Amino acid sequence: MRHSISIFWRLKDNHYKIYVTKCRNCGRASSFKRLRCPYCGSQNIEYLESRGFGELINYTISYYRTEGSEQYLPRVVGLVRLDEGPVIVGEITDVDLNELSVGARVEAVLRKYSSEDPNGLIYYGLKFIPVIKK
Amino acid sequence: MVGSGVTKVDRHYDKNYLTLIDEAVSKALADSGLDASDVEYLVVSTAFSETILDQADPSTYIAQNLGLKNVKTLTISSGEVSGAVALDYAYSLVKAGRAHRILVVGFEKMSEYPSWVINKVYAKILEYEVEGIKNVTPPDYAALIMSEYMRKYRVSREDIVRWSVKMHENAVRTPHAQLQFTISVDSLGRALRISEPVTMLDSHPVSDGAAALLVADESATKKTNREPVEVVDVESSVNLPIYLRDDITYFSATASAYKKLSSKNEIKLSKTTALNVYDTYDIYGLLTIEALEICGRGEALKCLSEMPYLNVGGGLKARGHPVGATPIYQIHELRELMSGASWVRYDGDISLAHSMSGPDNNAWLILLRRWV
Repeated sequence: MRHSISIFWRLKDNHYKIYVTKCRNCGRASSFKRLRCPYCGSQNIEYLESRGFGELINYTISYYRTEGSEQYLPRVVGLVRLDEGPVIVGEITDVDLNELSVGARVEAVLRKYSSEDPNGLIYYGLKFIPVIKK
Repeated sequence: MVGSGVTKVDRHYDKNYLTLIDEAVSKALADSGLDASDVEYLVVSTAFSETILDQADPSTYIAQNLGLKNVKTLTISSGEVSGAVALDYAYSLVKAGRAHRILVVGFEKMSEYPSWVINKVYAKILEYEVEGIKNVTPPDYAALIMSEYMRKYRVSREDIVRWSVKMHENAVRTPHAQLQFTISVDSLGRALRISEPVTMLDSHPVSDGAAALLVADESATKKTNREPVEVVDVESSVNLPIYLRDDITYFSATASAYKKLSSKNEIKLSKTTALNVYDTYDIYGLLTIEALEICGRGEALKCLSEMPYLNVGGGLKARGHPVGATPIYQIHELRELMSGASWVRYDGDISLAHSMSGPDNNAWLILLRRWV
């Protein structure tokens, strides 16, 4: 799949990193670097960089084919509650489908989002994997 | 509303969008008793014509092909609710006295490319910079919501698909419906998986279709061949993205639009009110009737058998989902129901159409009433 290079470059804080927008007005936190708090609309906000760890709170194994997604199917798409509080949507990867479970500890890693085959650009971004036990 | 007409929803490989529209408009004009020359304004609704048909602002070309000359035209493209927005615009023009006879046309041609190409186009209803870029798709969200609902209310997969079974039963009796066959809960095990636990049996099909309405002020009501239906009010609200919601099993945009609509117009929906709701996925239909306060949270499945006028056309599930046209089909089906032309007799005074983009990202409600 083809993406605009300038759009992708501008989004580097949200796809190469995870930021949390904290609202000083209503006190709520949301995933992504935002201009305003999505809950109350306030511009009185601050940003916090997430460590990228969290808990998988819901997921689906998806077979839905979209142009360019063939080589990645089936994909696991899930909701992750970051340790910093808010929930983020993302892909869970490098995981045995039989060992997936709600409540699993996951961490963000850099992986391939998509590519312009066969000789085009490769787009990278963050996905989640089960936390590697040390 | 003094006239309406639709084409059969299908994969119309042999017809282009102009042919489908011509058929729907001819039927709507005949129904209204008006001539094409009476039309002052053409309001067109489509979600994906620029992407699928490579056609920006199709309203001009539709007017040209319909032989409409002295008209204002515009195209409204607002995702899956485009048709509801188009009706709201037409309704506002009439209310403001800016126009007297408006032709509203909704269409979509989803079958022009293979499904994996169209799936990518359809996924554009989500937020590109957050979800699209990660290839998160609409059925993924339906799957997350369905899982959560099943966990929370201890509902089984078989229970949820009962919505779809009912929709297919209704579609069999609806000549313009796309999937005119019955399905059973037993076929769930064989159904193609989309995003677990969502299968083909839970999802809308890929559809082409065109639908037309004539929205007019009182002066046109004398010409119409059938009793007109009054557009009483239109309301709408916006929800947070799924991943920021405290409870993904509650459609709060639908709920708050309904609160505004019901308090303003002093109405209360019941199980026997004619409803035409967005069941892009069966689970969304269930959550919608809960958000409309027809049944309690987690109790929609218990109400299903007591709702004889719910999606009598078969819903998005079985009538089909020609996206930009779908809300216009809904209004047409409610008009048929209220004027005695449907397969079931309805004596209620009001009816309600509900549409939304994605999983309640925004929701639109259109309240209709019998002409008095």
